[in-house]
Amino acid sequence: MTFSHEMTGDRDDLPGPGQDRCPRDVDLHRVWLGVAAEVWRRRPGLVERLAGRALRSPGLARALVTTPSLLLGSVIASAVVLAAGMFATLGTGTPFVALFAPAVAAAGIAYAYGPGIDPAWELSQSMAVSDRMVLLVRVLAVFALNAALGLAASAASGTAAAVTFGWLVPMTAVSALALAVATVTRSANAGVAAGLAAWAITVLSAQSASGQLTTAVASSALVFPYLAAAAACAAVTWFATRIPKGTS
Amino acid sequence: MNVEISDVTRRFGRTQAVAGVTLETGRGVFGLLGPNGAGKTTLLRMTATIIPPSSGRVRLLGRDPGGYGPRREIRRRLGYLPQSLGYYPGFTVAEFVEYFALLKEMPPGRVPQAVATAIELVDLGGRARAKLRTLSGGMLRRAGIAQAIVNEPELLLLDEPTAGLDPEQRVAFRALLRDLGERATVIVSTHLVEDIGAACGEVALMDAGKIVFQGTPDELATRGEGTGAAGDAPLERGYSAVLAAARSATAAA
Amino acid sequence: MDDDELIAAIAGGDDTALRELFARHAPWLAARLRPILPAAEVEDVLQESFLAVWRGARGYRPEGSPGGWLWGITRRQAALWLRRRGPDGLPLAALAALAGHGGQHAGDPAEAAVSRAELAEAVRALGPEGSTMQEVWRLMYVEDRTVTEVAGLMGVPEGTVKSRAHRVRQLMRAVLRQPVRDGGGR
Repeated sequence: MTFSHEMTGDRDDLPGPGQDRCPRDVDLHRVWLGVAAEVWRRRPGLVERLAGRALRSPGLARALVTTPSLLLGSVIASAVVLAAGMFATLGTGTPFVALFAPAVAAAGIAYAYGPGIDPAWELSQSMAVSDRMVLLVRVLAVFALNAALGLAASAASGTAAAVTFGWLVPMTAVSALALAVATVTRSANAGVAAGLAAWAITVLSAQSASGQLTTAVASSALVFPYLAAAAACAAVTWFATRIPKGTS
Repeated sequence: MNVEISDVTRRFGRTQAVAGVTLETGRGVFGLLGPNGAGKTTLLRMTATIIPPSSGRVRLLGRDPGGYGPRREIRRRLGYLPQSLGYYPGFTVAEFVEYFALLKEMPPGRVPQAVATAIELVDLGGRARAKLRTLSGGMLRRAGIAQAIVNEPELLLLDEPTAGLDPEQRVAFRALLRDLGERATVIVSTHLVEDIGAACGEVALMDAGKIVFQGTPDELATRGEGTGAAGDAPLERGYSAVLAAARSATAAA
Repeated sequence: MDDDELIAAIAGGDDTALRELFARHAPWLAARLRPILPAAEVEDVLQESFLAVWRGARGYRPEGSPGGWLWGITRRQAALWLRRRGPDGLPLAALAALAGHGGQHAGDPAEAAVSRAELAEAVRALGPEGSTMQEVWRLMYVEDRTVTEVAGLMGVPEGTVKSRAHRVRQLMRAVLRQPVRDGGGR
């Protein structure tokens, strides 16, 4: 037989729910904190745990998996664009993947981190895990992911090897530009716009110079300029994220 | 001494936000008062190791924040609440507090307990798993305070912490401040004079980048006596009197 | 929300319901445990109990009683705790139970200790020492006398003895939330 209502009915001094006071030496607040700690606890996923071990920093790993452009939605968007490029390439023979990939990467990187996209940017600058480390790790991850997606789409669209890999270097340059602009202007949107514009201009001017749309990604003469541009933009980003001295 | 600031200045372009401040404080609650634009936020940002001084020396928790290693050590023991804190709308309160606990390099084993403690201390226990976008302004502020205290910092810097809090919450917050001041150095920057009186053991009044008064709240209140300065309470009158005196002195100079 | 609704909410993953349930019930559960365990262990047992509530809320049947369900979980946790301390850690009460009543408590001294404390509490609830109810309890259940003998000893009709015994069982049941076997241990 289970508890019945006669408990509260007949006698007032019977112990029971609501009627006993907690013994003075029992700290119920401490008990609740222990319960809450377990109940409110977040259990990191596999990727985060592996990243934490690889980077030797759970904080950095958490920052990595919360990268806006690595969220499922963004990844799917990138994949869709590249898949479209792949189908367009299969259909027309023009290597659209090679032309889309740098643009997609630039967008992803501008939205990775920094004052333009992180609402708690000021607070992030006072953290033990330095914001530069977070920026570096996120940018590398986004870049690697986009490169992988691009390579897959490229290979699947059956283009020549030079073009399949040829867009990696321009992608680096365009991404670096997008990041630099996003950091300096404190606006991710400005970064994306700059990256896309720069890429479009590059492709079109290369085409008008040589007559071929794919010159921007296929010409080996452009490799050095691209890398130089990437290095310069990286330096700008590095400078813009330093702890400002003197007069900035 | 947890905070030693010697003759520090900070310039932005042609503006001198901080024009020579010397400040030393140990454990306890230290109030930073002053009108908008007085340089309080800049001073706090320098103390939070976000920006270095243009000149002068800063030593925090016995370390020089100029070096990467010591700065990291300071930051692990630091809690900071900026004047305007952005939020990740998709995060819950617990995720938000936990995120910064991890970024402050707290040992992961200690994080869940610390997060629960911080959330309950700011009375957000009923909202721990609510998304930040569903919270009111005052609750968001309290979530911000929670992230600042989650690592039991030795140096806690709060910039306008009571913005958006109703009077009852402000009273609770002052009690929390007094508690925290027993174990840490707490610097509270505010333009609300009554916050200072209730919780701070010492207060500095800043104007135009300089400290124009430093002492106990009682001493500040005394400065206002008999001067006919504006204000409904002794502290407010002291505040007005000191500001007026400082400004006329600068005008005369 | 009443307790049943709270527990249903907890089963659905609502942690604020758990918080409310804790606020309502932890105090009296702590008071129940304190006679059996030192304060620090009461805290540990309560923590484990409410985590068990969080994980097991789906198993609650609303026709039961929330208080009884909670106490059931708590005393199981308390028994687990006592068992974990090992034979040296068991309180004297448990040892007495072991020594005294071989068959009655299925060989679990931890459960025995908890049961014994519960029983003591229930007996206290009957009234002050020497009161009528306590007398009935002592004569009928501890000394195992027949109704006729008790009637003679107390100087009242057998009918009165029976109804007093019924009352004793009612009171004890209310406290223990389990049936008290009629006729004592015989």
